[in-house]
Amino acid sequence: MWKEYSSGYIKNNRAASLSVRLSAFIAALLLSLLCGLFYNAWKYEVERIRQEEGDWQSRLIGELTGEDIGLIENYANVKDVVISDKGNDGVEPVLDIYFDDMTSVFADTPRIAELVGIPPEKIVYHYQLLAMYLIRDASDPSPRLLFPMFILVTVMASLSLVIIIHNAFAVSMNARIHQFGIFSSIGATPKQIRSCLLQEAAALCAVPLIVGNLLGTVCSIGLLHMVNMLLGSGIEGRHKAVFGYSPWIFALTWFVTVMTIGISAWLPARKLSRMTPLTAIKNTDELQLKRRKNSHLLALLFGVEGELAGNALKAQRKALRTASLSLIFSFMAFTIMQCFFALSGISTRETYFERYQDVWDVMVTIKDAEVDDFGLTEAIQGLDGVESAIVYQKATAKRLITEEEMSEDMKAFGGFSQAPGQFVTQVDGGWLVNAPLIILDDNSFYAYCRQIGITPRPDGAVVFNQIRDVTNPDFRHPTFMPYIKTQSRGEDAVSVLRRSGNEANMAKVAVLSYTEEVPVLREAYAKLDYYELVHFIPASLWKEMKGQIGGMEEDSYLCVLGGENATLEELDRLQDEIGRLLGGEYAIESENRIREYELNSKQIQGSEAIFGGFCILLAVIGVGNVLSNALGFVRQRKREFVRYMSVGLTPKELRKMFCIEALVIAGRPILITLPLAVMAVGFMLRMSYLEVEVFMAEAPLLPVILFMLAIVASVALAYYLAWRNIRKISLAEVLRDDTMM
Amino acid sequence: MEILKCEGVRKVYGSGGNQVMALDGIDFSVNKGEFVAVMGASGSGKSTLLHIIGSVDKPTGGKVTVDGTDISGLNQTQAAIFRRRKVGLIYQFYNLIPTLTVRKNILLPLALDKKKPNQEYFEKVIRSLGIAEKLEALPNQLSGGQQQRVAIARSLIYRPALLLADEPTGNLDQKNSKEIIDMLKLAGRNLEQTILLITHDEKVALEAERIITVEDGRIISDERRR
Repeated sequence: MWKEYSSGYIKNNRAASLSVRLSAFIAALLLSLLCGLFYNAWKYEVERIRQEEGDWQSRLIGELTGEDIGLIENYANVKDVVISDKGNDGVEPVLDIYFDDMTSVFADTPRIAELVGIPPEKIVYHYQLLAMYLIRDASDPSPRLLFPMFILVTVMASLSLVIIIHNAFAVSMNARIHQFGIFSSIGATPKQIRSCLLQEAAALCAVPLIVGNLLGTVCSIGLLHMVNMLLGSGIEGRHKAVFGYSPWIFALTWFVTVMTIGISAWLPARKLSRMTPLTAIKNTDELQLKRRKNSHLLALLFGVEGELAGNALKAQRKALRTASLSLIFSFMAFTIMQCFFALSGISTRETYFERYQDVWDVMVTIKDAEVDDFGLTEAIQGLDGVESAIVYQKATAKRLITEEEMSEDMKAFGGFSQAPGQFVTQVDGGWLVNAPLIILDDNSFYAYCRQIGITPRPDGAVVFNQIRDVTNPDFRHPTFMPYIKTQSRGEDAVSVLRRSGNEANMAKVAVLSYTEEVPVLREAYAKLDYYELVHFIPASLWKEMKGQIGGMEEDSYLCVLGGENATLEELDRLQDEIGRLLGGEYAIESENRIREYELNSKQIQGSEAIFGGFCILLAVIGVGNVLSNALGFVRQRKREFVRYMSVGLTPKELRKMFCIEALVIAGRPILITLPLAVMAVGFMLRMSYLEVEVFMAEAPLLPVILFMLAIVASVALAYYLAWRNIRKISLAEVLRDDTMM
Repeated sequence: MEILKCEGVRKVYGSGGNQVMALDGIDFSVNKGEFVAVMGASGSGKSTLLHIIGSVDKPTGGKVTVDGTDISGLNQTQAAIFRRRKVGLIYQFYNLIPTLTVRKNILLPLALDKKKPNQEYFEKVIRSLGIAEKLEALPNQLSGGQQQRVAIARSLIYRPALLLADEPTGNLDQKNSKEIIDMLKLAGRNLEQTILLITHDEKVALEAERIITVEDGRIISDERRR
């Protein structure tokens, strides 16, 4: 009978249960997506740890005889032992132990160690790997929060979904309070009513749950594929993530989704089943205002219909809460996200791509190579399609700046008074500042000398004599001034460079020129440390002085500029040729400007797609809720409408009231979001020192307007469908309503 | 045999200064097979009394015993099972489930107990109420009088100890009212049902064997007519 009652209700009230189905589908989709992604993130991390550090669980360090190893191998829980040469840097022999049951690793390993006479301090546990299986020990000092974080986020997502979707169930169930009151009055127990409602919820949600779960898994495959595509070659050392699924994750996903939807249905079902039959039967379902409220603005704008609509919306506040919150959050998140991406795009383009567009096409990091020993510069410069190729290395050094050396402009903004201690140290006679060395291959250095208008010489340095006004925080429009005094410049000027960390070691370098012009390299100077004094020197000079101040340099760099308007194919070909030329002799990593730009664009598009998708899902919940509410209130508000009709409200006026309600529901997210978005964008513009006109020229008006229109259209459609039902209400019929007691 | 006994039943709604005494020390008993009418003006407390006897509401004080069971202290589940098996409730507005057919509406109390109906008894009830031809109809396809007959059939299907009718004719015309009362009387006679009828209509009350008059929550007269 319960089945018959529920199936009859479900069959005849498809629209009313739409929101329940939709909510269940979205909850299943999101949770399944989350579980799939987390499982794969976990799997990826386990694979990475195994690849990088091995998959042993504990390790004994020290000499072990064959007999000892036999004893360990025969230990009950030990699956395997491997003598490793990787651990302990080859100082002492190491034995890796693998257990059948990993959970007892912290109990079994000390026993095994004792058995073979290894002291406890010579036991090493693979804490990182064990933590991935939630096997923890108090002796591990690291927090290792990845797995607990996955669990926490899943639980939080589940609880948030319960808060969001339980209202959809409540609206559907509350529409029949009176009927359940009748059930109760003829002897249905609270448990029976609860079971009936939960069975009904199960019947309604079964298909959306299956479809949502499947689609969530498909989405997680797609997302993983997208991550591989975006990051596959973008991050050095990253291995490709291969999608995986296990029966455990299948069971967990189902458990989480069923629990989330179950709790969402159980909350209103419990409330309804606990109602006394008298309360339930007498429940008129009519929306009431708890206290007198006036809708002044709506009354002023739309007259009495506005006031009626305003009061009706206030009375429905609870039922519409999910819808309002979902719509507000989705629109706000979407708008702010779009603005943020637009701003971030402009900023990246201006500060990176546009600034470095003409200075490089292919960048190569040549591992462990010394610029003064590098012999392939000319071969690269001779490659077809290469306009210029600069090989350079970076070294660190220190330089003392005296009070007299400081330029007047610098003194005017306080000299080193605002310099942070980590970069500038005050010593006897002046201030010790960082003096980064950019060591260019000789030919490139000569070309640079010609570029700044001095005679090329291999025995001196060019000093980048420019400092930013630190009192002006606008990083987009900085003001620069000379660092060293003009009077100090001269033919015989010298710069005394000191070794970083051991300033007693010094090298004296002739200064060929002080300049404000830098060589064409993809390098930013004085970005973090505004007080650094950059020196450009030729490789041959570095060869002579590196014994005094060098020693900590690692890699060299190759900055290649191709022909004008080089295409991606040309740069790819150039990158391959350089790779072939250097690959035999050096370990290299190379980048390609156009590919880098495309990768960046893809990453932004990917992030936009993911965040946008979440916003749309949120909006779907909101619209679904509006739809279910609008269709559900036809019965609930029947008496209210009849009362209006009986006092003479015409269908046209009723329709106007409806339009006002729809307008408020759809307009509220817009009215709340727009000022907040303007404030957020204003704040972001201030922080990024971008001009309003620059942002406005690229403001994401179209997507925001489309999203806004989609919300308005969906709400309008929901109210139109409800209006079609309201139109059919017969005054006489409702006055004879069998539920009126 | 005493089927219903009320001893000092009190019901107070609200609290503090807003207290309303709906019932104030109701004492009476009803024997098996009796047809009793409880009469009173609107707001006199007669519906509250019916709700308490039907375990739909709880008394603030006093004791109500139905067929040997003290129902004043039943919890929600016990009260529901009691309603299902011991009392049949008939309302002025029928309270039928609009999405269930007449047959399913009538058999609902049995279905709640996962019991199959006694076909012979079922036939007897529907025939005596004249709704045998309407079993597959939905409530909204019936007239008010027919809907009330279905409600009576539903209340009788479990052979309850007590039939409680709250203004069963309040929504019907004179002809239908007469028919419903006749049917209740017939059910009382043929099925040996005890009936407690709540009404404000003196004419309807006069059809009962005994009339209890309630005013301001108190019994002011208890008159046996035959």
